[in-house]
Formats: sequence, structure tokens, C-alpha cells
Amino acid sequence: MEQTKTGFMNIALAPKAKEGKAEKTAVKKRKKISTGDLIFRICNGLFMLIFVIVTLYPVLNTLAVSLNDGTDALRGGIYLWPRMFTWKNYTTVLQKDNLITGATVTVARTIIGTVLALVTNAILAFIVSRKDFIFSKQLSLFWVITMYVNGGLIPTFLLYKSLGLTNSFAVYVIPGMISAFNMLVIRTYMKGIPDSLEESAQLDGAGYTTIFLKIISPLCKPVYATVALFVAVGQWNSWFDAMLYNRMSGDLTTLQYELMKLLSSVTNQSSSAEAMKNSNGSVTPTSVRAAATIVTMLPIICIYPFLQKYFVTGLTLGGVKE
Amino acid sequence: MKKKSFTMVDVRHQRVLLIWAAAIVVYGVIFYYLPLAGWLMAFQDFKPVTGIFHSKFIGLDKFIRLFSDATFLRVIRNTLAMGVINLAVTFFMAILFAILLNEVASKGGKKVVQTISYLPHFLSWIIVTGILHDALSGTGIINQVLVNLNVIDQPINFFAHEQYFWPIVAFANVWKETGWNAIIYLAAITAIDPSLYEAASIDGAGRWQKIKNVTLPGIKPTIMILLLMNVGNVLNAGFEIQYLLGNGLVVNVSQTIDIYVLKWGISQGDYALGTAAGIFKSVVSIVLIVVCNHIAKKHGEERLF
Amino acid sequence: MKKKIVSVLLVATMLSTMVSGCGKTAGSGGTVNAEGIKEFTAFFAVPGSEINDDNEVQKLIAEKTGCKVKETWLTGQTAEEAVGTLIAGGEYPDFIDGGNGSVQLYEAGALVPLDDYIDKYPNIKEFFTEQEWDQLRQSDGHIYWIPQFSNIYGEERACTHNDEAFWIQTRVLEWAGYPEIHTMDQYFDLIEDYYEANPTMEDGTENIPYTILCDDWRYFCLENAPEFLDGYPNDGSVIVDPDTLTVIDYNTTDTAVKYFKKLNEEYKKGIVDPESFTQTYDEYIAKLSTGRVLGMIDQWWDFAYTAEDAIKSAGLDDQGCQYVPLPITIEEGMTNQWHNSGGVLNVSSGLAITTSCQDVEGALQFVNDLLGQEVHDLRFWGVEGTDYLVGDDGMYYRTQEMRDQASDTAYKASHTCSYSYFPQWTGTSRDGKNAMKSDGQETEFYDGLSDSIKKCFDAYGVKTYVEMLGTSPAPGSWYPMYTFSSSMTTSTPGGTAWTLMGEIKHQYLPKVVMADDFDAGWDEYMKAYNECHPEDFISEMQTELERRVAEAAKYE
Repeated sequence: MEQTKTGFMNIALAPKAKEGKAEKTAVKKRKKISTGDLIFRICNGLFMLIFVIVTLYPVLNTLAVSLNDGTDALRGGIYLWPRMFTWKNYTTVLQKDNLITGATVTVARTIIGTVLALVTNAILAFIVSRKDFIFSKQLSLFWVITMYVNGGLIPTFLLYKSLGLTNSFAVYVIPGMISAFNMLVIRTYMKGIPDSLEESAQLDGAGYTTIFLKIISPLCKPVYATVALFVAVGQWNSWFDAMLYNRMSGDLTTLQYELMKLLSSVTNQSSSAEAMKNSNGSVTPTSVRAAATIVTMLPIICIYPFLQKYFVTGLTLGGVKE
Repeated sequence: MKKKSFTMVDVRHQRVLLIWAAAIVVYGVIFYYLPLAGWLMAFQDFKPVTGIFHSKFIGLDKFIRLFSDATFLRVIRNTLAMGVINLAVTFFMAILFAILLNEVASKGGKKVVQTISYLPHFLSWIIVTGILHDALSGTGIINQVLVNLNVIDQPINFFAHEQYFWPIVAFANVWKETGWNAIIYLAAITAIDPSLYEAASIDGAGRWQKIKNVTLPGIKPTIMILLLMNVGNVLNAGFEIQYLLGNGLVVNVSQTIDIYVLKWGISQGDYALGTAAGIFKSVVSIVLIVVCNHIAKKHGEERLF
Repeated sequence: MKKKIVSVLLVATMLSTMVSGCGKTAGSGGTVNAEGIKEFTAFFAVPGSEINDDNEVQKLIAEKTGCKVKETWLTGQTAEEAVGTLIAGGEYPDFIDGGNGSVQLYEAGALVPLDDYIDKYPNIKEFFTEQEWDQLRQSDGHIYWIPQFSNIYGEERACTHNDEAFWIQTRVLEWAGYPEIHTMDQYFDLIEDYYEANPTMEDGTENIPYTILCDDWRYFCLENAPEFLDGYPNDGSVIVDPDTLTVIDYNTTDTAVKYFKKLNEEYKKGIVDPESFTQTYDEYIAKLSTGRVLGMIDQWWDFAYTAEDAIKSAGLDDQGCQYVPLPITIEEGMTNQWHNSGGVLNVSSGLAITTSCQDVEGALQFVNDLLGQEVHDLRFWGVEGTDYLVGDDGMYYRTQEMRDQASDTAYKASHTCSYSYFPQWTGTSRDGKNAMKSDGQETEFYDGLSDSIKKCFDAYGVKTYVEMLGTSPAPGSWYPMYTFSSSMTTSTPGGTAWTLMGEIKHQYLPKVVMADDFDAGWDEYMKAYNECHPEDFISEMQTELERRVAEAAKYE
């Protein structure tokens, strides 16, 4: 591993000498735009515009469907704007029993789960990214394998049950806390941090704990934010564990599980002989699903800018600072 | 299981690391390796009633059944094909998008585009495939555009022909996940020292050269790691999207291993078959990543372990 | 600092684990709560509608019976998976309906035999005849579950034909002067004629003469018509010849060839919607909802509560875009059996009580109480004055407002509690007047009809959808055979053949309909079909048929 300097580190360490010059020219940098540059910018802007339209469309379409009468939406032809406006889908979703309990549990598991996952994955990544660590390679392999093996539903269930994890909050945050994927993402980032930092700290007598907390972690903010986002979104959206392990514990239900049950109710109702014929302002699985999707997306959209600043900073803020 | 030559000095020096590593390994063994006892099911006539410990052993019957079934072999082909196509396309698009986004001059614009691009990730497949079905239907926008541009005279029924299925699945994956997948690369780009770009400018490098010589090398380790991980996942080409987009006419190209397992294993109460297919997937994945990891090592690239 | 935060969080996690970890076992077995109400738990291995904890009717029923049940339903899993996990865990709710996993539960010894108890509870005892109870006995001779549905008390009350039929829009019949349509050829001729004269709707939208839903398991709209066309009832997977008591494969009959050949011809003429085989269920419903589709085969429940509602809400009922069923067979002069009278006893699953239940007698008492008329009315009609009114003649009826709220999802969750997977009656109430369930009440039914449907019914001299088809007497004691085929698994050759046949039909039937050369397409299909060994399936069905007939003979 010592010989395999990554491409990044080669260049990361090389141009230190030029830094002085770079600073001076930085001020004038943006002024001159060549024709080639201009064409590139226009093309790039166009590409981004198309990309935005293509990706925004399904979201706006979902929003439109969620604000449209369910029965009317069955006829299709709703694109960006609701045809028969109603709040009915949202009131149906928000009136769901236990939604508050579910939301509380979901917020709790998102916060606790994200912190736990971030801390443990960071520690693990730190360990395996130490070049001199004696079991570095074996420990990595041990975790990489976990990505591709799966014992199946029933053995996992039995295990959690015997560990006392069923009917408990812990089942949301303890299993799956450390994941090889997140660990590897952090590890890659940590490996990109120049060794010189760690070496000089070690000369000052700093132990591994200090190096981890004081030197490596502050530099890893962008990757920590990325992993936190991944874990948080996973936690926020999960419901299968609530269904499987905490079915009988109503106070441990999650937001998504409640929404899944609501969807299931509506689906069931729309094909049941009990449903009396009625067309005034009724909801359908499609319209409720759309509203539920928007409701679950909103908090993430709101929190996103706070995380985003760490990984979309642009050239001026980013980089390894010493 | 892991003994290598090391000195007591190393051990003492790294005791903090070793203690943490040991704790983490214990965790990993419990939560990831213990459930693998379930693999025994693949060799049993498993019934939930008798459980893993008392079901009758039947040896390799289930594996033999799987590999003597022409359908299963076709299903492997489909899974591999879609896995490879999806991997290549989504991978390329995410990197391309991250790099181009990084080149957007306006900071506000960059943030807005990035925020919008990841939103489709939160839509479930059933919503995305619903919209896709609308867009590709006989009266949908794609056919209208193609007819108006005189590319075709008659609307194409895209879902009735086998040759369109894999591209449609790949497109849907790109559509839904590009923005989300790009997040990792965007984070990696932030780690690139800005002075490198300045230095490159001074050396007279153009935009394209800066991308080639600074940005790409800067995120190369991340690219390598994700590539290696995803290579191990080519047999997990998915279930939901193929299930939702498929129909009787394209069943020869649409069925994946997961759909096969659902049909012939889970919904028949045949746990052993599903487990056998799972083991097959795991073995293939691990072989693939070991091989690729070795190749990466040979070329001095970043690797998994 | 970080360490402190982490340790605080860890402690918090552990605490929350401990707090919520205690006192929760699966079967609460009739724990009595603070208000003196026994609480039971139930799990149904089917998707269902969950009701709120403070549901109003549930409270009323609890006051009357002293019990309430917290119901949970299948979400995102198959029944077998869900039941498999329960068995592995060894803990069960008090009540369970294992759906397709019922036999697994029985084999695992998770269920309490009910035969010794049944005699003590008159309403339960009354629910089935002696013969029917005996049909429910498992291999060890005990009864473990009570099928909940399709059990008729008194006179049968059916207004809608809930099952499969060839449907046609009333505007087509009106245009042609309400002709008598009895055969498939007449049906397609009528559609062709109408389509030629009226290629578009009033607003210019192009009509779609005939579409076929073929999405996933819903491809029955394409595949099983031959059994009905030959005048047999919905045995689902096979035809049973009532005279010789033999099983016939309807996929290979002459009628099947004629039917698919007809579809092939109509496809070439542009009558069959070219998107038939690629459309999803949602797209199909969207098409129907716009009123463009003149006719199709489907089951009523599959489109009535979605497309029919949308047609009405868009005011398209005035244009005659609603559907009525037609009594179609392959040739003139045959009796059709699209609609049969009599209930269906599905012995393959039902409500069971598990070994985790601490209070079996209390649980059964509750089931007994649910079948009492007063509680039954609460379950399926609601609260008098709020959900329905009683006329001077003693007949229950609803105002439009009540009907609207009865179908409101949120209202149902907070107010209605039908305990829908507990045993229930259909047919006529013990008062001899009202229907057991609101959907069987004729007055309710008439109020819901649009003018165009009424006009059509008048023209044919009928009053209900069922009369459009005519009612056949209940088929023989074996009926319906699908309860057996749906419980087959790949562990037997017949079950494997059955699954394979489904795959092949799904794949080839669309090709047959779209084929340029029908005969070649059909031969190719038959070749693939015969490779599935359908004879294995048929012989297992024959064995089951003989078993059922012999079983029934004991009571004659």
C-alpha cells in the first residue's frame, strides 16, 4: 500500500511551491473569457437546463397529481398543473392515525441512527485508512464481504429476536449501523489527506484518538456530510424494519410504515366490494401515493441546503487546508 | 484467522486502533456473519416449522434444479446484461454530471441545479415507471416528437419490443439516480486543492485540460472504489423496475434473478431455492470483486482491500 | 466533546430500548385494559385497511361485547414470508388469518383446534352446516379456521354482478336499439358496426373499440373466457363436466381456438386496442375512465370503483359510457353461467386462534358476538342516525351525504369498524327485510343508478346487473376448483406444471392474438404449452375433484 500513492496525492503534494503565484493571479482569473470558454459555458448551461427540466418534471408531475382529485386523475392527462384542485389527498395523509408517533420515532431514529452510523463508520474508516495498521487489509476485506452476503429474512429475524432487538427502538439504529459502503467512501476520502499532517502531529506526541478527532475529522466534513445524508435518507425512508420487528409495538411505528399502511388501506378499499359508489372528492392509491411522497420529501428538501454547503462549495472554499 | 508478522511495538503503539477494530469485528460477526447460518437452508428441504436446525438435508438438489432450468440461465443473462448496462451508463452519467456541474460558474445556479437533480431519487419506482409509461405510450410525448420530426411514421409501442427494454431500464435508472449518485463525486471534488487549478491555469491549461489533469485525477480514487463496489453488484440489477415495466411480450428479456426467485421461491414457500440463488449471487459477486481488486492492485489503483 | 455527545446518545438509545422492550409480547391474550375492555391482537396475511385506535364504532362494539381487537395487515411481503417469520419467532397474535400460509401455521402447531368449542357458541355454530364444518377439517381431523366470507343468510341479495363478463357501454346498445346479444360473434359485430358509424366520442376523442387488460395477474381478462363461453361456471383453473365429473382443460378446447382466433381477426381489423398487451393496470383504468373504450372482458370489482366512478364524476354517464354485462356464449342457445347463485366456501384459509392466545373462550365469545345481528349491523351498516336511517317500513337507507362519507377514507378509519376479516354474513338480515350488508340493499342500489343505465335496463326488462345475465343455480359440490389450484405449490409436479402454464400463457397468448398467421402462432403456443406437462396438473385436479365429490356424497 505504501507504494501505491493515489493519483490525487501526487498532485496534491506537488504544486505547493507554485502557491504564491497562484494567489496573485487568482484575482484576475475570471475576467478573460475566450471564445472556446464561452461556447463551453453555453453548452454546459444548456445541458444543465435540459437536465433540470428532465429531472424536475416527475417531481412536478407528482405534485400536480397530489393536488388533483383522485378519481379525476384516473383519466390521465395531468402534467404540470392539477385539473381539479383539491387538498383532499393531503388531508387524507395527514389525518392518518399515529402519524405523530410515527414522525417522532422517525425523527429520533434519523438523528440517533445518523450520529451512530457516522461515528462508527468514521472510526472504522480511520482505522483501515492508517497505512501502518497491521490488519488494515484484512479488516477491509472483512467488511467488503458483508456487502455481498445476506443470510436471509428468517435467520436475521431469529438473530434479532434472540438479541432482544425485536419490539425495540434499537433495531432501527444498531443493525446496519456500520456499512461497508459508507466506510469505504469515508476511507477513500481520508486516504486523500496528506500523510504529512498525521506525521507532524505524531511527532508532537499526538495519539490516534487526537489525530482522529483534531486533525482528520475536521478535514472530512464534506464526506461526513455526504455519508450523513445517505444514512439519514435511508433512516427517514425505512419502514420494512418497523413492519418486520415492531409490528406489535404501536409506539415504535415509523412515519413511512404508517404511510405504507395508509396506501395499503386505500388500495384495498378501491378494489373492495364494500366501497359504495361515490365520486365526489374521493382519493385513489395513485393520488394518495403522490401526496405521501411529497409529504416525505419536504423535510429532506428543507434540511438539504444545510448539508449541501459542505459538498457543493465550489473551488474557492474546498480543498485541504493546512 | 489473521496472523502476520508484526512486532509487539506495533501492537502497543496501535492498541487504540486494535481495541476499536476488535469491537467493530465483533459487531460485524454478529450482525453480518452469524445470519449466514441461514445459508444452510439452501441445502435443506426447509420448512419454517422445522427450522434451520431440524429440516431435512437434500444436498445440492436446489442448485442442480436452478442450473438445469433454461429459464434460470436466461434470467442470469438478463440480470448480467442489465447490470452491466446500468452500471456503465449510470456511472458515466454521474461523473459527467458532477464534473460539468462543477464547471458551472454561478454558485447559485450550481446549488439550484444540484438540489433539483437529486429529487427524483425520492420518487418510488412505481411513480417513475408510471410517468415513463405515459411518456412512451402511443400518444405520449416521445412518440409525438418522433412523428412530428418525421423520424417515424407510426407511433412505436416501445414496451412491445424486446430490443427497447434494456435501454428503457437504463434510461430510467439514469433519470432517477444521476443527481443522487453525483453527490459522492461532488464531495470528492471539494477535496481537490484549488491551487492546483490555479497552477494549471498558469501553465496555460484550458478548461478541458484542467478537467483531465486536475479534476479527474482528483476524484479517481473515489471512482475506482465505487466502480469496484458496483462491479460486485452487477447481479443486483433490480427487481421493482423490471417488474413494473415488464409484460408478457418482453418476458424473455425482462426477468431478473430476483423476479425468478420471487416467482419460484418465495411465493411458493420454497425458501431453499431463494437461498440457493442468493448464495450463487454472493459467490459471483465476491469472485468478481476479488478479481477486479487484483487488477486494480496490478495497475497501482485505489482498491477495496 | 464529541465523545460526550456519543455516550449520551448511546445511553438514550439503550434506555429507549429498555423502556419499549418490556411488556410487549405478540399475543396479549385478552389483557383487560383500564376501561375493563379485553384487548386482543390480530394479524391478517392479506393487505387491508387499518383503523384508528380511537375508532368510534370499534368503541361501541367494545361496549357491547367487552372486547376490542387491534388488527394488523400484510404490508410489503408475501403471506408465506410473513407467516414464515412468525413461525420462526414462535410468537403469534391472538387471532390470525394466514392466507396462503395457513397450512404452514397448522403444520407448525400454532393454531388451537376449534371443534370442541364450536358447540358452545350458537352464532358460530350456525355459521356453517355440519357438512361445511366437516369440509374444514385438516388431516388430523380437527377444525382450525373459520372462512369468513361469502356465506349467505336467508335470501341471497345480489344486485351487481361482481364477477367476470363481457361488458359493453350502454351507448353502443342504445345506438343499435338494444339488440339481444348472445354470442361472441354478435358482440364483436355490434362493436364493429358502432365503431364504423361512430369513430369518435362527442368531443372528438377517438373511440377504442375493445381493449384487453393483460397486466400481471390481471391477465384473466384475456385468458379464461373460454370456460365461460362454453357455458361453464368460474371454476377458475379448469372446466368440470358435471355429467361425467371429469376435469377439462379449457386452454385447448375448440372454443379456446375460436375465441383467440376471433381476437386475432379483430386485432388485424384494428378493433382490439394495439396497446392491450403492454398497458399497465393504471393505463387501462385511465383509458376506461375517459369513456373511450366500447367493450372489454373484466371482473366488475376490477374497474367499478375506479373507472366507473371516474366516468360518472366526469359526467360521461349522460353519454352512455357506463358498462353493462352481456350473457355471451360461443354459440346461440347455450345457457351461460357468468353468474351463479350461492356462496363460495373457500376452505383454504380463514380466521384462526393461535396458541399464544391466553383466553380462547373469550376470543371465541367475541367472534360469536360479532355475528349477532345488532353488532353485525354496526359492522356493516354503521350507527343508526349517523350512517343510515330507518324508514317507516323498517328498511335501512342512506342519504347522499351518508353515502359520501361512507366511502371517505379518513371517515372509514376514524368511524367505521367492520372487523372485515372476522366471520360475516351476506344475504338477508335476521329481520327478513334488510340486507346483511349495505351493498346488498336494493334501494341503495337503485339510487346509485344513472339514467342511461336505467334506460338500458328498462329496454331489456331487467332491474339489476345480475338480471342482465340471468342467474344459474349453484354448481356442484366440488365448486369452486380454484380453491385447490391456488393452494398448489411447486412441490408437486401438478403445481409446477400449473406455474409453468401460467408463464407460458402470459408470454404466448398476446403473441397469438397479434400473430400475422394465427394457425402458426397457435401451433407454436401449443408446442410450448404442452412442454409444461399440463396433464400433471389436470390429473391432480381430477384427484381433488373426485375427493370432493366423494366427500360430499357422505351427506346425501
